Amino acid sequence: MKILVVEDEQKTGDYLRQGLMEAGFIVDLARDGLDGLHLALTEAYDLAVLDVMLPGIDGWQVLQGIRRAGKDMPVLFLTARDDVEDRVKGLELGADDYLVKPFAFSELLARVRTLLRRGGKAKESDLLNAADLELDLMRRRVTRSGKKIDLTSKEFALLELLLRRQGEVLPRSLIASQVWDMNFDSDTNVIEVAIRRLRAKMDDGFEPKLIRTVRGMGYVLETAE
Amino acid sequence: MNLIGKKSVTFRLTLLFASVSTTVLLLLGLLIGSLVEGHFEELDMELLGGKMELLRHALEKVRTPQELEALPGQLEDSLVGHHGLAVRVLRPDGQPLYATEGSTFPPGLLADAGKQALHPTLWADSENHPYRGIAALAPTGIQGMAPAVVAVSTDMTHHEHFMHSFKAALWSVVGFAALLTGFLGWVAARRGLAPLREISRSAAGITANRLNQRLAVESIPVELAEVAQTLNEMLARLEESFRRLSDFSSDLAHELRTPVSNLLTQTQVTLSRTRTLDEYQDVLASNAEEFERLSRTIADMLFLAKSDNELIVPHRERVDLAAEIESISEFYEALVEEKGISLSCSGSGVVLGDRLMLRRAVGNLLSNAVRHTPEKGRITVRVADADDACVAVSIENTGETIAPEHLPRLFDRFYRVDPSRQRFGEGAGLGLAITRSIARAHGGDVRVYSENSVTAFEIRLPG
Repeated sequence: MKILVVEDEQKTGDYLRQGLMEAGFIVDLARDGLDGLHLALTEAYDLAVLDVMLPGIDGWQVLQGIRRAGKDMPVLFLTARDDVEDRVKGLELGADDYLVKPFAFSELLARVRTLLRRGGKAKESDLLNAADLELDLMRRRVTRSGKKIDLTSKEFALLELLLRRQGEVLPRSLIASQVWDMNFDSDTNVIEVAIRRLRAKMDDGFEPKLIRTVRGMGYVLETAE
Repeated sequence: MNLIGKKSVTFRLTLLFASVSTTVLLLLGLLIGSLVEGHFEELDMELLGGKMELLRHALEKVRTPQELEALPGQLEDSLVGHHGLAVRVLRPDGQPLYATEGSTFPPGLLADAGKQALHPTLWADSENHPYRGIAALAPTGIQGMAPAVVAVSTDMTHHEHFMHSFKAALWSVVGFAALLTGFLGWVAARRGLAPLREISRSAAGITANRLNQRLAVESIPVELAEVAQTLNEMLARLEESFRRLSDFSSDLAHELRTPVSNLLTQTQVTLSRTRTLDEYQDVLASNAEEFERLSRTIADMLFLAKSDNELIVPHRERVDLAAEIESISEFYEALVEEKGISLSCSGSGVVLGDRLMLRRAVGNLLSNAVRHTPEKGRITVRVADADDACVAVSIENTGETIAPEHLPRLFDRFYRVDPSRQRFGEGAGLGLAITRSIARAHGGDVRVYSENSVTAFEIRLPG
């Protein structure tokens, strides 16, 4: 997967590139709008991350250029201003998602993966599993090593999210919004408690432990390591 | 238009004053001039008429040609002492019978004597002396003799002189008076506008540091008092906003300084010597958490700043409050169970509002309640139609009673009941402020009651 990042701020650009590369993407970084547009039109990318405030031509113009050239890769834009007009403008011009600075890198990563999945249209399976854990969406049943585990409906939704996005570190804000529809920054200790209770049911007494806390980032469900 | 509009009020008033008074004085001058002139003419005519009467009478009394020849002598006697008076009497055949010395009459006047009766004629002699004169036919007492012609004139040099100097004096007085009233007008306008300058002077003295100063309305004339009052009200609003802004900035600086200095210290201590990988990870993770909190605080501050500037425009959709509260409660379910709190929701209510914002407002109250309810406590949420066409959501929790002096300030940003207590896990003290902003943006409000170990928050929203 190849991602184009257009960001003029030195540090932000470097960290975005490093973070995305370490997450397994191939990343090209452009430092201004003209370079960014040139790269977007000459190379094939699966996704572009555009900063709005850029020297030369701004993010909107880059976005317009990309869409005018008939490229339909997903575009996520970064804006420092949380203005409704800004967001609406971006979405009207053909952006797929936006993040307001400052944002958590894990949040960006999660959004990037969501956008890429949307493009790929991965078939949603009814049966999710990790190691000996199985989640059956149709029957709303969870088993570990063949033993049935009773979960509340929210715990079920939480486990489903973690399983669907195995190996991805999910930030607490994303979990709150996906599972509980809490779309504002709410108490994150609620998520901690919820995860602890989920773990108590499906990880305690079993090996390997599947849910791992990544401090300062969020939670990940993974089988390896 | 613009040119006049830009001129000062003093200038305009002065100009107006001067032109009005000049016009009045000019008219007055013209009137006086013509009245005086008319008066002189009347005097002249009286004199001329009298003399004419005298001459005609003398001629009427003549019965014989001898008496006619003797007439000039009599006339000389009776006219003695009349300076400036000229008389000419012509015999019926046109030959002069009598003429005062040096008298001149225009021939037209004498020839037309029969026609124009006593109509005065003006003329000047060779030395440019002006005369006014009349001529008439005067029948004699001699039987069968045609009437004689009598002409009388008076020298108007004196009158002319007088009129000349009178007019000169009149116009210079008018001119001077116009200038004087202009000047007085200027003085009056300046004095009249003095209170305005006073207002502007005291307004100029009001700076950001002295916003508490006000214009002294009592010492300002009634016409301007309203302006001053309006200005004062504007200043009061300005002062209030300014005070809020500056409180807000200092709170903000304080709130941000603590975490930033913690981060800095922790990072520098870590860097002071080589540590294990785990220790580095630990510090970075803890920093990340702190940064997350900071960025949340910043986002909340931005929300509040926007709400202060009325930039938050909730959209209007039907929101089933009971259903939303049910869903938010699920979020706190795990935490509530952990603390052994019993949480109950009841009632129903629908409002028009922004679903996301309302969730946030209620969520903040619920989060606050969960945080302050002791273990085994109780939280009761009720939704009900209030009496004033509002829907009221009340969130009640058991726990310590909040002292009454704190209650009105609970919704202030960064306000903490116990300042020594650092933030408990979450929240920089902005949650309740945000709830209030949201409630107000919806045309509602939020209140708090606390007594007998029960604290209740109530949001009222127009239904």
